[in-house]
Amino acid sequence: MDATRIASTTNVDIEATGVRVPNTPQDAHPRNPEDANVHLETKDVHIWFGQRLIIEKVNLSFPENSVTALIGPSGCGKSTFIRTLNRMHEFIPGAALAGQILYDGKDIYDAHVDPVDIRVQIGMVFQKPNPFPSMSIKENVLSGLHLAQIKYENPDEIVRNCLERASLWTEVKDRLNASASSLSGGQQQRLCIARALAVNPKVLLMDEPCSALDPGSTRRIEGTIKELSQEMTIVIVTHNMAQAQRVSDYTAFFLAEEGAPAQVVESGRTDEIFMRPKDPRTNDYVNGLFG
Amino acid sequence: MTITLEKPINPVKPPKPWAKRNKSTVISNAIAVIFPILVLAALFFTTEIPGPVLVVVVFFPLQLLTAGVTSFMDKGKRGIGDAVLSVGCVTAFGLVVALLGSVVLSVIARGFPAIRFSFLTQNNIYISPTTDLTYGGIGHALLGTLLVVLIATLIAVPLGIASAIYITDIKGRAAGFVRFMVQAMSGVPSIVAGLFIFAAIILTDVVGFSAIAGGLAYAILMLPTVARTAEEVLRLVPKEVRDAAVALGSSRARVTMRIVLPTAKTGLITAVVLGVARIIGETAPLLLTTSNANNTNLNPFSDPVSTIPVYIFQYLGSGYQTSIQRAWGAALVLLIVVAILFGLTRYLSRNKRGNV
Amino acid sequence: MSSSTLEVPGNTPTPRYFGREKSRTKSDKLFSGSIIVAALSSLFVLTAILIYLGSNSWPVLVEQGISFVTGSEWSTTDGVEVFQIWPMLYGTLLNAIIGLVIAVPVSVFLALFIVFLAPRNLSKVLTVVIDILAAIPSGIIGLWGFLVFTDTAAGWGQLLNQYLGWIPLFANDQNQFARSPFIAGWVLAIMIIPIITVVSREVLAQTPQELLDAARGLGGSLSGSIRMVALPHARGGIVGGVMLGLGRALGETIAIYFVLNLIFDVNIYKILNPEGGAIASMIVAKFGEATPNEINALLGAGLILFIMTLFVNLAANYIVKRSQREKLI
Ligand SMILES: Nc1ncnc2c1ncn2[C@@H]1O[C@H](COP(=O)(O)OP(=O)(O)OP(=O)(O)O)[C@@H](O)[C@H]1O
Ligand SMILES: [Mg+2]
Repeated sequence: MDATRIASTTNVDIEATGVRVPNTPQDAHPRNPEDANVHLETKDVHIWFGQRLIIEKVNLSFPENSVTALIGPSGCGKSTFIRTLNRMHEFIPGAALAGQILYDGKDIYDAHVDPVDIRVQIGMVFQKPNPFPSMSIKENVLSGLHLAQIKYENPDEIVRNCLERASLWTEVKDRLNASASSLSGGQQQRLCIARALAVNPKVLLMDEPCSALDPGSTRRIEGTIKELSQEMTIVIVTHNMAQAQRVSDYTAFFLAEEGAPAQVVESGRTDEIFMRPKDPRTNDYVNGLFG
Repeated sequence: MTITLEKPINPVKPPKPWAKRNKSTVISNAIAVIFPILVLAALFFTTEIPGPVLVVVVFFPLQLLTAGVTSFMDKGKRGIGDAVLSVGCVTAFGLVVALLGSVVLSVIARGFPAIRFSFLTQNNIYISPTTDLTYGGIGHALLGTLLVVLIATLIAVPLGIASAIYITDIKGRAAGFVRFMVQAMSGVPSIVAGLFIFAAIILTDVVGFSAIAGGLAYAILMLPTVARTAEEVLRLVPKEVRDAAVALGSSRARVTMRIVLPTAKTGLITAVVLGVARIIGETAPLLLTTSNANNTNLNPFSDPVSTIPVYIFQYLGSGYQTSIQRAWGAALVLLIVVAILFGLTRYLSRNKRGNV
Repeated sequence: MSSSTLEVPGNTPTPRYFGREKSRTKSDKLFSGSIIVAALSSLFVLTAILIYLGSNSWPVLVEQGISFVTGSEWSTTDGVEVFQIWPMLYGTLLNAIIGLVIAVPVSVFLALFIVFLAPRNLSKVLTVVIDILAAIPSGIIGLWGFLVFTDTAAGWGQLLNQYLGWIPLFANDQNQFARSPFIAGWVLAIMIIPIITVVSREVLAQTPQELLDAARGLGGSLSGSIRMVALPHARGGIVGGVMLGLGRALGETIAIYFVLNLIFDVNIYKILNPEGGAIASMIVAKFGEATPNEINALLGAGLILFIMTLFVNLAANYIVKRSQREKLI
């Protein structure tokens, strides 16, 4: 069931891809060279709400600097699963979990791990744009640094860098001190991405980031995802098959049979899943025959 | 596919890996809890420094410091905020529980010895502050309280519910204004209610000090509580219920009286009980309106009447051992009445939640 | 206007608007009428309070002039009657401020505890405990304050004075620590903690989950998320709750009557001195043996208390409601 790992994209010549190189994030946030092998992997993950088993035995790995799409019918537990990847799951009363989630080879649920560290390194963007309404755009971008109590210099540079990487800079550069709630939905979502980027995560989890947005904003965010995948691992939940094909390198298909917990039916390279699915149920789903 | 049983025979307990505590966290929490207490105990028994000073000057700062330092060692800088938060919360919690516990336990412990059958049934005629507790009691005050509360209820409940009907059901032009007035009225201090009734009907010789005057003063305090709770309750009546009745051709009065009010019955009773609980222990307005009496007076329209709160006030003021015991006894009875009313509201609102 | 659009002469149907349905039958009219009259009872009562207290006290207020609220003497002896309530007015505020200084942090921490920290069952129990505390009659609090709490709190006051007496606030020149504004403030705090806690708990519990998620997801600790998300969100509601508590504190009568010495000599800041004031308690204290004129002066004092609490209470409701409306938008 493990996703096939292909050559890591770290060595891709950035100039050659034609992608606009972001404004050298390395300067603002120097990256640790040891992080080169970072990646995320789940082993036999089971998830409960109360006594109800929602997800059964998920084994997935998320190769570094790649985009993995999680697809599946509504209610099968994709959001639940993605929240376990940065320990947001445990805030829900009654939540329970078995199995391991290995980040850098270490179980993030180990008693010695500080969940706050995990959430700093594995950032999250939610389905509904949720900028802090009482703060300005600039304060929103910096809020993660304050919350995680990370020391920083040059706030202006960080703000600019993050907003540029989230493709929002040009739209808001003249009103950085305006309230975040004055932005449109799509802009708010990109602001949330910028906010997540400011703490310099190695992994970014996105739960249907475009579900509340128009096609134009969706396109822009997809572009942002593509660019970000040059420098971080991205996991994205989406209901939009075309989007999954456009942005992701890998895809995992979740399905819950009636009355049973959800499982990963099939996972692998996105083109394989969409062009040559092995499981008939995957075929039906990606071709829109159910779900 | 396997058959999933509705209820597993051996219900597994799904694991919560985050509930596991890291050893260093356990140790640092234990240190944060135990160390300040040990220091406090040591200083308390070895030095002459008074307890409260130790708590405020030694224990509390030490607790903050230990909690801060240990969680800093455990979690780094961000641990400190959490430590301050926990210490603050637990302190507030402890303080409130201690104060409430002190109030309730003192009333029970000191009131209990006074309670006996005669205390509940006899009145206060020929009883002086030094009379032995086996004679005399609060029977007259119980009846008086009942009378005054009954009068207040008869006045405030119809008016309060009518205000609520006007706001939610009729949705009249002045609904906002009425709500505003009800709110304003809920801020009237109890002494002002008493002064007003005193000025309006006692000074003007309409009646003298009497149960009716007390009932009117109480009604002023009760009305906003009833109106506000009833408003919330009536709001919960589904629009469909009204629509269905209107579609059947009922008149507005009928819809309200036969459909809306019965649907909200339990909620409205809760409103009444809350209103009674709000007023039953108020002393100040009665001092100015019912005054006090030693005999049992069941005539609402003339002559002073005794009530439990005023009885407490009277006996507390005289300062003898037995009279203070009487005050505690009456307080215990009052507390029990309030507790019963309180339990009643919780019982009623639980039922209501079950129905909807 | 003339040229293009609206040229369908004569054919446009006139729209009919539906106002509120009129009562048609006689019984319906009677019903609506009586409900309206009853609903306006609050207005009648409030106006009547103003009129009765105002008209009865008017002669005294005119006679005493502005010194009714600025002067510090109350005497019916010597043939001349002087009624001045400044020490009581000031004392009312002083007690309330001391009460708030104690009650606000306790209540806010308690609300945070209930909403964010306590295990589910404990927070349910605590909610009930707060409701019980709110339901205890002030007469009982007064009794307890007088016979149980005063001793303890006087001890606290004495210690404060002993160690911090060099701060003017904690000076005491009577060498007696019972019946001080400090104790009155504590008693008030006990009575307003439930009010502030209930309101704060409600607004804090309404903090949008997605904002809390965002803060936690960015690596915020619990305290950090509360500071950056929950408290800003709940600020308006908490301020409103504090104002409601203030309204209650200003009007409290019996509990204060038993734990405070009422002295017609203003005590500005020495909160441990056994001297203080409170309008409501003063009314009870003077009422029994008051001369007819004095009664009218007491009615005037009540009028001032009424206006003060009315103002505070309406402001509180306005603040709470405004903060709720902001949240809805
Ligand atoms: N807090 C909760 N308590 C109990 N059950 C929950 C809770 N949250 C979600 N569930 C259940 O878990 C299952 C998975 O929910 P989840 O939100 O993860 O689905 P999803 O795949 O993200 O759906 P969608 O695509 O609609 O967002 C659902 O059956 C849902 O009812
Ligand atoms: Mg979802």
